[in-house]
Amino acid sequence: MSLSTRHLSVGYHQKAIVKHIDLDLPEGKIIALLGPNGCGKSTLLKALARLLTPMQGEVQWQGKALHEIPSKQLARQLALLPQTQPIPEGIKVKDLVAYGRSPYTGFWGRTNQTDQDIIHQVMQETGISELAEQLVSELSGGQRQRVWLAMTLAQDTPYLLLDEPTTYMDLNHQVELMHLLRRLNQQGKTIITVLHDINQAARYCDHLIVMKEGQIIQQGLPSDVLTRELLKSVFSLEAQIHQDPIAKTPMCVVE
Amino acid sequence: MLLISWLSLFTWSSITISPLDALQALYQFDQDSIAQHIVRDLRLPRVLVALLVGACLAAAGVIMQGLTLNPLASPSVLGVNAGAALGMALVSTITPWFGLLGTTVAAMIGGGLAWSLVMLLGSGWRTGNEQGRLVLAGVAISALCAALTKALVIIEEDQASAVITWLAGSLTDARWQTFDAFWPVAVVGLLGASLLSPSLNLLQLGDDNARNLGVSIGCVKLIGSFLVLLLVGASLGAVGSISFVGLLVPHMAKLLIGQDHRRFLPIAILLGASLVALADTLSRAIIFPMETPAGAILALIGAPFFIYLVRKKTL
Repeated sequence: MSLSTRHLSVGYHQKAIVKHIDLDLPEGKIIALLGPNGCGKSTLLKALARLLTPMQGEVQWQGKALHEIPSKQLARQLALLPQTQPIPEGIKVKDLVAYGRSPYTGFWGRTNQTDQDIIHQVMQETGISELAEQLVSELSGGQRQRVWLAMTLAQDTPYLLLDEPTTYMDLNHQVELMHLLRRLNQQGKTIITVLHDINQAARYCDHLIVMKEGQIIQQGLPSDVLTRELLKSVFSLEAQIHQDPIAKTPMCVVE
Repeated sequence: MLLISWLSLFTWSSITISPLDALQALYQFDQDSIAQHIVRDLRLPRVLVALLVGACLAAAGVIMQGLTLNPLASPSVLGVNAGAALGMALVSTITPWFGLLGTTVAAMIGGGLAWSLVMLLGSGWRTGNEQGRLVLAGVAISALCAALTKALVIIEEDQASAVITWLAGSLTDARWQTFDAFWPVAVVGLLGASLLSPSLNLLQLGDDNARNLGVSIGCVKLIGSFLVLLLVGASLGAVGSISFVGLLVPHMAKLLIGQDHRRFLPIAILLGASLVALADTLSRAIIFPMETPAGAILALIGAPFFIYLVRKKTL
């Protein structure tokens, strides 16, 4: 297991939001973190990306606590796309994406040909090539989200952590994103993403982790995890589980 | 910048110096010419110190604004100047401490203490939140330090005149020994600043993104703060309190070049250097043959530009 937590408690202002979690994140999968608002899924994700310091326990990367690994080295292994992003003033799209290469660039942040190729490629994959010369602050919310995604992808890490990446996006871009995540997964990346849409998670992810009140309630294959009882106990939702007619994955329909 | 320096070498002198003298003093020094002696022994070190002071203060301003993400951050606003002044006043007025420390070191310690206090009070170590608090803390600490400095000046009247000249920031006393003590620190500080600039770029994306991209934030802030102290302490120790350069020049450079620290830092350094050299030259002109402190001239140039910036809302 490359990424795991040992007895992890983490939160804000001395108040634990994620409580005593032992979790091994399966390698090479698309993993969705699900749960109602305030259940701690974003907090857990941030702790996995060492943006929050554990109050108890630790997050381990290949058996080593995250804080023992040099920051730049870890930045070549894990990349996180936070849920809300600042709007940087006066930065062009291509320059922001290029910042994603910082963990690799040498003296003075200079990029080489490999860096340029990767930047070019991720901009194409996220469909922002034609925005390259524009200022990030002048884009729409959805476009900006794709630019930040491109920066995260430019980090070219085996682990990709995404916090509700589809928010602010049009439906077609949401679908494109999920397909892109699939492709990246096939190239060998492990993807851990917080999602709101249960059906989206069931359709595109291999492994679901369901959280409530800072605890992990259930995890496993979508077809095993998504049950009437779970939806009722975790989301207080009366819903039926049907089979998606196209993808043959479970799909919940609210009663 | 070269043009301003050259002008500064010969203009507004009590003894007539021709433009040619200024050049000859540099390339074909004539032992018998008084004018050339003045150029070599007085004017040249003075211009060099002015250039370096401008460069250092501009770089310090860039670092402070980059670290705090606060467009108002600068040595004068965040209390470093006032703290350094107090440190300087302490060693030059209170007898048991007199001469214990050089003024530069005293200025650095004073500035360092004030800056740490401001950062603690204004929770400046956490970026992005409550920017107003940082500035408020800076203003409060500045006022406190200024009050203490004034009290010292009143108590120890004998030593006061040196402190007052110093507070106004003047290059009148800049000689070769000032330059010799100043340049090594300045060069180290400026080099450090340019090495730090890629990290400053990433800090602008917010702490989360910066950390995610492999920046050790605590480390960068510590090194940055240390560089600020080197740059500001050395400048203040050399010529006294000069404000506005650190606040304004980074904005000028950003307006010209854009937001990439790697690119606008060198421009800010050049602009700062030119501006202080220009201000010093003008300082001799306004009520010739008397001198106005260069600090006052800078405020005169700086204030209108600042108003322009505020109106444009590009902060």
